[in-house]
Amino acid sequence: MAVKSNSRNKPGTATGMTRRTVLKGVGLAAVAAPPLLSRVARAADAPGATSVDQPISGSITITLNINDKDHQVAVEPRTTLLSALRDRLDPPITGPKLVCNANTCGACTVIANGRNIYGCSVLAVDMIGKKITTVEGIGTPENLSPVQAAFVEKDAMMCGFCTDGFVTSTTAFLKKNPNPTLDELKQGLKGNFCRCGTYPRIFEAALAAAKVLKASGK
Amino acid sequence: MNNFEWANASSIESAVKLLQPVDPQGDPDEMARPIGGGQDLLTSMKEYLVRPPRVVNLKTIAGLDQIKPDGKGGLRIGATVTITDLYENADVQAKFPGLAEAATSIASPQIRNVGTVGGNLCQRPRCWYFRLESVQCIKKGGPVCYAAGGQNKYNAIFNTGPSKIVHPSDLAPMLIALGATVTIFGTEGARTIPMDTFFTTPNQDVRKENILKDGEIVTEVQVPATTARSTYLKFKERESYDFALSAVAAVVEFALDKTVRNARLVLGGVASIPWHVPAAEKSLIGKTITEDNAAAAATLALANAKPLEFNAYKVPLTETLIRRALLKLNA
Amino acid sequence: MATKTIKVPKMLNGAPTGEVDTIQVEDYGVATWGPKTKHRLLNTHLPRVDAPNKTTGTAIYTHDVKVPGMLHGRLVTSIHAHARITSIDISAAQKIPGVKAVLPIVAAGGEVIYEGQAVAAVAATTPEIALDGARAIVVKYQVLPHVVTVDDALKPGAPTVGRGPGRGGNGQGNQQQVEAAVAACDAVVEAEYRTPILHHCCLETHAVVADFRGGPNATVYVSTQATFGIPGDAQRELGVPVTGVVTHMGGGFGSKGGGIGVVGQWACRLAKQLNTPVKMVNTRREEFLMTGNGPGSLHKFKAGANKNGTLVAISTIQYGMGGIGNGGIAAQPYSYVAQNVFRQSTSVNTHEDSSVPMRAPGHPQACFAMESLMDELAYKIGMDPVEFRKKNLPNNANGTAWHRQLDAGAKAIGWANRNATPGGGAGPLKRGMGCAIGSWGGGGRAQCVVDVKISQDGSVLVTSGSQDLGTGTRTYVRAIVAEELGLDMTAVVEKIGSTAYGNAGGSGGSTTTASLAPAVKDAAYNARIALAKLVAPLLGAASADEVWFDKGQAMGNGKSIPWKQACAAVPAAGLSARGQFVGALSGNGAHGASFAEVEVDTDTGHVRVTKMCHVQDGGLIMNRLTAESQINGGMIQSLGMALFEGRVMDPALGIMLNPAFNDYKLPGAMEMPELIPIIDDGDERNVVIGIAEPANIPGCGAVANAVFNACGVRVRETPITPDKILNGLIELRRAKA
Repeated sequence: MAVKSNSRNKPGTATGMTRRTVLKGVGLAAVAAPPLLSRVARAADAPGATSVDQPISGSITITLNINDKDHQVAVEPRTTLLSALRDRLDPPITGPKLVCNANTCGACTVIANGRNIYGCSVLAVDMIGKKITTVEGIGTPENLSPVQAAFVEKDAMMCGFCTDGFVTSTTAFLKKNPNPTLDELKQGLKGNFCRCGTYPRIFEAALAAAKVLKASGK
Repeated sequence: MNNFEWANASSIESAVKLLQPVDPQGDPDEMARPIGGGQDLLTSMKEYLVRPPRVVNLKTIAGLDQIKPDGKGGLRIGATVTITDLYENADVQAKFPGLAEAATSIASPQIRNVGTVGGNLCQRPRCWYFRLESVQCIKKGGPVCYAAGGQNKYNAIFNTGPSKIVHPSDLAPMLIALGATVTIFGTEGARTIPMDTFFTTPNQDVRKENILKDGEIVTEVQVPATTARSTYLKFKERESYDFALSAVAAVVEFALDKTVRNARLVLGGVASIPWHVPAAEKSLIGKTITEDNAAAAATLALANAKPLEFNAYKVPLTETLIRRALLKLNA
Repeated sequence: MATKTIKVPKMLNGAPTGEVDTIQVEDYGVATWGPKTKHRLLNTHLPRVDAPNKTTGTAIYTHDVKVPGMLHGRLVTSIHAHARITSIDISAAQKIPGVKAVLPIVAAGGEVIYEGQAVAAVAATTPEIALDGARAIVVKYQVLPHVVTVDDALKPGAPTVGRGPGRGGNGQGNQQQVEAAVAACDAVVEAEYRTPILHHCCLETHAVVADFRGGPNATVYVSTQATFGIPGDAQRELGVPVTGVVTHMGGGFGSKGGGIGVVGQWACRLAKQLNTPVKMVNTRREEFLMTGNGPGSLHKFKAGANKNGTLVAISTIQYGMGGIGNGGIAAQPYSYVAQNVFRQSTSVNTHEDSSVPMRAPGHPQACFAMESLMDELAYKIGMDPVEFRKKNLPNNANGTAWHRQLDAGAKAIGWANRNATPGGGAGPLKRGMGCAIGSWGGGGRAQCVVDVKISQDGSVLVTSGSQDLGTGTRTYVRAIVAEELGLDMTAVVEKIGSTAYGNAGGSGGSTTTASLAPAVKDAAYNARIALAKLVAPLLGAASADEVWFDKGQAMGNGKSIPWKQACAAVPAAGLSARGQFVGALSGNGAHGASFAEVEVDTDTGHVRVTKMCHVQDGGLIMNRLTAESQINGGMIQSLGMALFEGRVMDPALGIMLNPAFNDYKLPGAMEMPELIPIIDDGDERNVVIGIAEPANIPGCGAVANAVFNACGVRVRETPITPDKILNGLIELRRAKA
């Protein structure tokens, strides 16, 4: 959650706060607040959410923005975003899958602020304030996105357990690279793995979807 | 992962304060840790290799994620700049193409979107003995380096002490080759040192890979202006997503007559620290780069390699990468 | 009588003229596939019916199941290869808030015989607390001597594992005579081949949700290859009737064929103790260590061929390394015939988890070794490797299939352009081609019961308890019924994956399609006949025999009415028809030929597969689209076996060094060659035969042979990694000097 510094900052400090003010802890809110503090203070409005410099622990309720909707969810600091989605939310969001839990396979891929990331390798508390998209937010069976429709048409799946991650990565990739070569596409998808062997048809689907997206001007 | 406190740092000073160890004599693997992207930290914590009581978020420190000109043609790169932001930066691509190449070679898109420059430099080794919780290897305070007499095909070919890890960072060799400096913040404020003194060998301290004291953080990397050409060649066992079996960061400045005015060669994946090979560099000064000169430099670079039982292949492999990097810059 | 006449309305420009026309249709009086080329749906490219769910996160796998009050289970597993447990102290774990139950699995004094063996189980309110609980259990071990490599296990005085030293066949054939015959040949090859233990790497790890709440029954969800393997095991643990459910599952490849597994057993026991649902999911590390592996192999060959291309004699001593399991490897000389054959096969046990079936168990290993050997002999006598293979195929239907497939594969890869001299290309990047063949049984069994229900509103439901591993079962189940009833795919709904539906066998041996499809066809046929009887009066037809269903219509006696209208004749309770296995619709015996082209960078040892093809027969193909995907999948898994995959053990510590996806390397996007899956339409058999396993057999051998052709290095131990190529090239240069 990078925050821009304001013009009043002293050189060498990020926010113009001195060590002395830091030691005051929560009392910072009473001091004239540079943008950093007020940004975090919004998150602090939700019960139990994190505030600047104040260590938090134990069970906390945070707000996560997922698929354009704010969700309140109880987590611990050590709860990953993936676990928050799958184990803590009710009803759970289960599109992103738990496969390796070690940022090595891509089945847990979600999009955060437009970039695809491994949901298992970020903490839920670190995702406050981000716009998170899971595969469920990309399309539904009744309303498939062009990427999803292309996956269906080209048979870009078998058991399907890697598929949500690939759909998500492909969606994020094509937004940034609307006209990829096959090699560029492979580079873009090399963080997602499949055991059944669906890669060649995923490539076909992605390239077909790129054409559809281009034609529709998206 | 163990239970821990989470703190969003508002400033570098507050981060340093929050990171001060409660018991400085305690187990270094049980002290507070800073988090950038967490792509190594969280994986390590999931294996209980590191069990910090507190994790301090550096991403909430304003300004740490910026790439700024240094006013002299070089760049200042904040520690929480993501790898993706690093290689997408137009200045990086224009001035230091080798750095952009090194950044692009890292891991996978998902890792690069979250992982940071600081985290990449401070990441722990990948040696499988080190990464397995059940193995108390020398780097974790145990009695012996299991790789030394064990399955060591991925380990070091240069001897720097009792641990045989290789440093896994791709940015480090390139930054060193570019003559980068790094700013460290501690309780006594900031200090800026050459990047090639940042990394430490097992001989210096077997428990660590760099000079950071507990509670210190990297805040910025500075890359000075250069007219040299740069390239990073990384050889992976699996192209899709892997650490380097071997890598070469090459920075060469050519005179108008195409002879080499200055050369920096730093190897990755072959030693516990990014491996600078000055003898090979010297052999190129004043010469044009030819197949023969490049091959001779490569041989010199690997002359005092001491491979382990299963990693002798890294010698011809690294020689190839050196030759290819030099010839590529010569084009 | 196969062909009959149906009276339909005469149409002109899409409108009925009032006159009567006739059409000829095929009806056999019994469930029959009909001519291969005349299918409307089967044997065409059908999109997968569950694709819209799988692409939108709405396909529910066992991992995704959440039921009210559900607790999370977690195992504690042995960190030693061989040890005696001196004590298990669960007291600290029990005190952790949120931990609801702790059960020891191995009692104090008990022995553990592989790293990863389950020793205790915990249930807690969150996954994090479950892990805290697991880690708070203090297990004390007395470490015992272990063996974890075949070489160590074969040493005299090696520690015995489980049942004792390897169980082996006595040799078949006369070893002395065969070896003498070898020695007399023009070309002799003595070589040892090895493959390491491999892992299924199902993306969905083994998982069970035992939904038991203390009531009179329970539902148990399992990521399984056998829906009907759930209730027996689960009922034993829970003591109540169990419905087994597997709606979707994320990969099996043979590892999930048996019951509910260790996670299932202990999820059930915890649920039983607590009267609360428990979900237990293997971690990736546990998946590598304790859920079963594909055995490693060691083959010691002495073989000889003559210049005329005859494989004269072959003596094989081979070992299967299946941990504490059987580790069976297919017999040599695998696909080929030789006049003089000696073979001896032994299982070697080590302190590792047990081998379990892994996609064509024992075949990829034997095939890699035999196909490499055939290649070595071919090059030694200076004969084209394809020609040499053809000369030594059996003189029967198998041989005929292989001849055809070798020709098709050679054409697809461009074999004619191959540089016949190994390592003969210029420059550091050298290309080469290789081939290999394989075979598999498959075939159907009488194990499936399928129900089709047609409702008064025209909806059609087909149900089967079968599972779909990703092979496309749902799609052909629907397609068979839709085709039989003259309907579109969207007019039929299939429900599978529950023991509430008709019985089905487990998926193993590539028998599912051959077992299930005939039963579906039988049910669909029975449904059609029953419906025709009801519809005849509506059309004024004299009998059911004059009624036909096509294009969403019911026609006969010169009339045609829409399907929905015809279904008004169905009773309010619906029309139910049941189907069973029909042997005549099923067959066995699949073959397969793989060809690969690689490019080897001889300065770095990097192997890039540029192109790969596989020719696969399977009798009557249910769905060409999903069959091609299966063939692609087989090629890719073979590529992984050839170049990247293998368990790495530390012999001294007895532990697995790479139980994770960073160092157990699956091929990814950048590793993908151009892939050409070829359905062998030269196979005229009009019966269903499974193809999933045969597609996975010869690819590894083909890649290994291509590597040799490219750079002249014969790597005899997979995976063929850059270090082995570089070391091999150094050896070659030394030998030449």
